[in-house]
Amino acid sequence: MYMNTNHEFHLMQLSDSFFPSGMFSMSSGLELLINNKKITNWNDVLTFIIEQIEFQIYPCDCTVLSFALTGVKNNDLNTVVNIDKKYYSMKFAKEIRNSSTRSGKQVLNSIIHMMENHDNSDFLYEFNKKIESKETPGTYPVILAVGAVCLGIPLESITRMLLYSFSSSIVSAAIRLGLIQHLDAQKILKLLAEPINKLILTNEEKNLEDIWQLTPLTEIYQMNHERNESRMFMT
Amino acid sequence: MQSSKKTNTAKLGIGGPVGSGKTRLIEILVPVLKKRGIRCGIISNDVISKEDAERMKRTLATESKLMPEDLIIGIATGGCPHTAVREDPTINLAVIEEIQQKDPTLDLIIIESGGDNVMTTFSPALADYFIYIIDVSGGDKYPRKGGLGIQTCDLLVINKTDLAPHVGANLDDMERDAKKIRIDKPYQFLNCKTGEGIEKLADRIISDLLFDKELLKSTVDK
Repeated sequence: MYMNTNHEFHLMQLSDSFFPSGMFSMSSGLELLINNKKITNWNDVLTFIIEQIEFQIYPCDCTVLSFALTGVKNNDLNTVVNIDKKYYSMKFAKEIRNSSTRSGKQVLNSIIHMMENHDNSDFLYEFNKKIESKETPGTYPVILAVGAVCLGIPLESITRMLLYSFSSSIVSAAIRLGLIQHLDAQKILKLLAEPINKLILTNEEKNLEDIWQLTPLTEIYQMNHERNESRMFMT
Repeated sequence: MQSSKKTNTAKLGIGGPVGSGKTRLIEILVPVLKKRGIRCGIISNDVISKEDAERMKRTLATESKLMPEDLIIGIATGGCPHTAVREDPTINLAVIEEIQQKDPTLDLIIIESGGDNVMTTFSPALADYFIYIIDVSGGDKYPRKGGLGIQTCDLLVINKTDLAPHVGANLDDMERDAKKIRIDKPYQFLNCKTGEGIEKLADRIISDLLFDKELLKSTVDK
């Protein structure tokens, strides 16, 4: 195992908007929801993020992250590949799938670059081979699990980081779309801390069949956004 | 050019302000390169749409059949054109991989940045050669004012020279300032409307990026 005296440093590194993950180009449907006046103020943005987390990111992305992390720790490549495929198949909007695999592969490249010459990087290279041979898509939460194990980051921390990164990317998009100002963005993030913490601490037993998501209206907007002629964000 | 599988296709970055002629430059450059046997893929970053990519699909694929439509890919950059080509080029790198998988024999991938300010630069991981394009209608002060893009690019292109007398731009001043601010680095005037200067620009790319001296002789000279 990679010797790491303080995983928090790497946690900050991965969650930093400076970390090359491509998240800056994603609004997860927010752009079209704002254009269609479905989201009109900072409180709507907060509600949107909470609902996306509760009905999509936590039950789907975070659960996938959790099972993938266990798979990586067990050096179980087949299980991780199956989880990766399952996650990919659950994302209905094409741009959401593409963004996840584009981000995932590039984050993996970064981690490979960071982990050069470290002892426990074998899984990285094996998983990368599977992606390059198109045996697995290489989605973002699964790659994050691979990175977390390499960098010694525990599940609870990397889950919190995934939820924070999602929230941060949405408020950042809301600022760039001109809906909220920078102070509102920080207020939203502050208000998200408690509900996110509650979710993480529920700590319920799960199995692979428990992965679910239900945000049909957002997904319809995400699909319509793909066909939008004029748009700032990829998703 | 050779048709064997390439593991590392050369990558050309083109950046510059909105309306300076980035898309038009690609539209007139690709046919010149094609005549010399150089096959290109194109990634077009756009701040608010994929309009430039759609336009190039029409002009370079559908109408002139110079390249397959699926080798021209548009990226919406979330209002951060500089981020997409500099601090976090991940989306562009991913699309480069996709293009290389579609056609591993390509000679060159051209990456057009979204219109941005004078500080635009390309990540070395993304572009092997960087052209920064300005135009005379932005004012003849442009080269003098500098900025990372103008100062550090591999080639500074000053476009729309035909407009100079109409907008009160002094080309001599622009040349003097370009020489001064870029010291030993090249610059050149271009008129994308008439194509004047494009063969010379193609020569530079072939010489300085593709390192293929056999292709240096321009088709116009033949």
